Amino acid sequence: MISTLTSTLANFALLCTLTVSAHAADTIKIVSSLPRTGSANAQTTSMVNGIKMAIAELGAKIGESTLVYEDWDDASPQKGNWDPTVEAQNADKAIADAEVMAYIGTYNSGAAKISMPKLNAAGLVMVSPANTAPNLTKTGFGEPNEPAVYRPSGKINYFRVVPTDDVQGAVAADYAKELGATKVFVLNDREVYGMGVAAVFEKRAKEIGLTVVGTDGIDYKAANFKSLVTKMKQAGADLVYFGGTTQTNAGQIAKDIVSGGLKAKLIVPDGCYEKAFIESAGAKALEGRCFITFGGVEAKALKGKGAEFYANYKKTYGGEPEGYAVYGYESAKVVLSAMQKLHAAGTAITRAGVLAEVSKTKGFTGALGTWSFDENGDTTNRVMSVNTVVAGEFATVKVSGLDAGQ
Amino acid sequence: MSAAAPRFTLFSRSQLIVLGLLAATPLLDLAMPSLQLSAPMRTIVTSAILALGLNIVVGWTGLLNLGIAAFAALGAYAFAILTCEIYPFQVGFWWGVLLAGAFGALAGWLLGAPTLRLRGDYLAIVTLGFGEIVQDALKNLPAVTKGTQGINPLPAPTLGMMEFSSETPVRWFYLYLAILAVIVFLCRNLEFSRLGRQWFAVREDELAARCMAIDPDKVKLKAFAMGAALAAVAGALIASQLSSTGEPSNYDFQMSILALCIVIVGGIGSITGVLVGSIVMVGLNNVLLPIATQSLQRAGIGSTGNVLTSPDNYKFLFFGLALVLMMRYRPDGIVHSAKAVKK
Amino acid sequence: MTATEVFLQQVIYGLSNGMIIALVALGYTMVYGIVELINFAHGDVFTLGGFLALTIVGALGAAAVLNPDTLGDSSHWLLLATLVIGAGLFCGGLNVLIDRVVYKPLRSAPKLTQLVAAIGVSFILVNIALFWGGAPMKILGNGNAAAASKNFPEILEGSNLLGEESNVVLRLEDLAIFAVTIPLMIGLTLFVKHTRLGRGMRATAQNPIAAKLMGIDTDRVISATFLIGGFLAGAASVMWSVYNNSISFQMGFRAGMDAFTAAVLGGIGSLPGAMIGGVLIGLIRSLSDGYIETRWTNVVVFGVLILILVFRPSGLLGLKQREKV
Repeated sequence: MISTLTSTLANFALLCTLTVSAHAADTIKIVSSLPRTGSANAQTTSMVNGIKMAIAELGAKIGESTLVYEDWDDASPQKGNWDPTVEAQNADKAIADAEVMAYIGTYNSGAAKISMPKLNAAGLVMVSPANTAPNLTKTGFGEPNEPAVYRPSGKINYFRVVPTDDVQGAVAADYAKELGATKVFVLNDREVYGMGVAAVFEKRAKEIGLTVVGTDGIDYKAANFKSLVTKMKQAGADLVYFGGTTQTNAGQIAKDIVSGGLKAKLIVPDGCYEKAFIESAGAKALEGRCFITFGGVEAKALKGKGAEFYANYKKTYGGEPEGYAVYGYESAKVVLSAMQKLHAAGTAITRAGVLAEVSKTKGFTGALGTWSFDENGDTTNRVMSVNTVVAGEFATVKVSGLDAGQ
Repeated sequence: MSAAAPRFTLFSRSQLIVLGLLAATPLLDLAMPSLQLSAPMRTIVTSAILALGLNIVVGWTGLLNLGIAAFAALGAYAFAILTCEIYPFQVGFWWGVLLAGAFGALAGWLLGAPTLRLRGDYLAIVTLGFGEIVQDALKNLPAVTKGTQGINPLPAPTLGMMEFSSETPVRWFYLYLAILAVIVFLCRNLEFSRLGRQWFAVREDELAARCMAIDPDKVKLKAFAMGAALAAVAGALIASQLSSTGEPSNYDFQMSILALCIVIVGGIGSITGVLVGSIVMVGLNNVLLPIATQSLQRAGIGSTGNVLTSPDNYKFLFFGLALVLMMRYRPDGIVHSAKAVKK
Repeated sequence: MTATEVFLQQVIYGLSNGMIIALVALGYTMVYGIVELINFAHGDVFTLGGFLALTIVGALGAAAVLNPDTLGDSSHWLLLATLVIGAGLFCGGLNVLIDRVVYKPLRSAPKLTQLVAAIGVSFILVNIALFWGGAPMKILGNGNAAAASKNFPEILEGSNLLGEESNVVLRLEDLAIFAVTIPLMIGLTLFVKHTRLGRGMRATAQNPIAAKLMGIDTDRVISATFLIGGFLAGAASVMWSVYNNSISFQMGFRAGMDAFTAAVLGGIGSLPGAMIGGVLIGLIRSLSDGYIETRWTNVVVFGVLILILVFRPSGLLGLKQREKV
């Protein structure tokens, strides 16, 4: 009896090792960790679609190896939002799974803070399609120990294909001045992303001579912001900046500004650059008065490989891509291109190899144009567009930073 | 009241079984590496400590607390401020955890003193409100708490020469399990102590307890402070595991609700029940549902095209359904305590 | 804006928001009074009412019934009445169904068991609202993203009744809230005071066993309570949607929490208490938003609540409970 049991166990163990080793030879896993449960689902779905497209373009193969993509959720039903324990779990899981060669994520800058040091210590490359908080990679924006605290190994493993908020907030403030605003009221949603971009806006606004007549952090679960609008009216604001996203109720703010009779323009960051924002605010509340900054240009204005991406996306998913889709696509592309280079050079595809190749990315020609990763791991792409809403659709009114790229 | 505690064992048999099962999970990980259990296992342990704290208040003393997460938040932030390199204290992991617990007890005492004479559901809303206040205060006072950014990095435990890091998840898990075992041992002794019997007396009939010369206010306050202390310890351990406090909104109403579900689903008033409850609830939230959706994906079922076809979108439904069904078929919880509250 | 104008405006907003909270709070307090259940799913029943209302509006809009040219002045009110009654009946029915399927079998189980079951129901309803926000809303042209909040079209004309030049804004929506909530509250009070079923409710709330012994069909009373509570939540959700011009699958969370707070503040189980509590919470919120800072509003609301309870442990209008021996 015991011997049978032992032999069964031994067989089982053997089977396990066999499967593992067999996989290691010919499977390359790419995982993404994005909030898939709850209100961010729409945005992350478009990113996941972008990633899937990039992998499908290679026929899910690099040489003889099969590319496997897994779409992990860093939200949990109990939270309905990103859950730090799940994000930590995802990072640990990716580290422990020898097949995982790249980690695409996160969506929330707060979540990145949890997984970055873990993945850094393990030397696994991490590419974010969405984090824009500057203090994740640059000194002088957060605590003195940032960003060193996210790099325990001393090396850089975290890269992002989106321009950071220090660019975006400043572009918004400059545009506010162009609109003729003099008295601005700065709101944020009290989340890492929204507060960061609002702080940059406020700083820049003061530098260029705008008067900041008030600031406040909203409670984004509130039913409406009518009382806050009255306060802004009292302060005499002629422009409102809201650092926040569609999920943190930007649509409601736009509506309440109109219904509360506040005659002011509204500027919001790229967290609102999605169809859902227009749908939730109602085009009427946005047209002619709301401006949305976005890192990059609208999908249909993309050129070269970007135009291919746009056509392909529409063909595959039968709809217009959201602004975020291209970032998911580009994140996967930059990782895949590193793997292809390794394969072409005849070297084995390892974590260290992929990391080294990704960090060497220079003059990468992708859907977002030609760009490189700088010494912090940030994209050199500084293209920013200012958009408004015309006839229920986003329409670009200004593009800046085209020359700063490369 | 059942027989007095057997003095010669550290744990009851059922507690020993559950702790033993928990201790054996890394073996399961060895057998099935794809499960990756060691990370969620630590969450199970920290949630169990949180729920053991809540169990003292809700299960043993009969006070409904809907804001236990506030004490976890205070514990996590106290730990962070005492240990993080950007603050001057840097007392290290163990002092950090102990002082966080003490701070939690103090906070529990301060909240409890003026409010504990409130009846059940009035107290519930006070604790719920306190939970919201703590979250907002942590968010709005960046000078002290770094606001929404959270505080990081936080130290991992050290034990003599032994180091713990995310590369040694199993070792770390065993350390947390050992801390849980110590807390279970303490709770078990509390349960059979004079204070424990006073709690039961107050829960069953406050007036009768008063007639027996028990001061209900004092006894309740002790329960409240001790529950808060355990919750704060849990908060500190969670923060250390994440190496960050995370955002204040991580310690929201949903966290309190999860702790309450653990206590009720496991079996109110029973230490073993709390252990089982946290395995079931955290297992459902952090292990089962993610694995289920990922296996569906791997099998090629579901797509991202539509809200109905994406398996992730069913998580709320299954989580809720599981709660309803468990309550329907085990209304007294999975582990029914002989000393549990009768309605 | 002068200081008086600002104050007046904040009071208008506070009352409007508060009346909606009060309506939801009535459902909480009634159910609590009868079965001693903190019905955590109440807020999510409320959410589904808003989704039904938007579906009706969408369907009428798609069928071109909602054409501003053909729609006269009175038909706006007719539409509003239809929505209130439709969503009210739907939420009432749903509430009764939930009670029958989930809470009734647990009636003799410990109180906290019912509470956890209600939490479970709340999660299920959130998921249903999420799905409802998907394909059904897409077909009716109410947005593609299931999880995003949805625009609720303006049903009542949006201009300022005090004139477009006035600094203080008072819109038809604000008046509509009063026009809907006040009759409902009066009706409810009369119903509970003067009808047979109402007396049954009061008796059951006092002592369910004694009520049963007196020949009151307590099951029927409980169902009626869930029906009425749900109806009020449905009516409130329509007013909420019309007032805020938006709905989202998670909107019930804050509405439910505010309503629960209002019910306790007023004295749980007390109908006038819930009404006063709701209005008070609305006023505190808007005054805090206006005069303190929005980011501190939750702290102010709950701080005031705790202070009031410290000095009035049974809420504003709650009766002091005698300890049962």
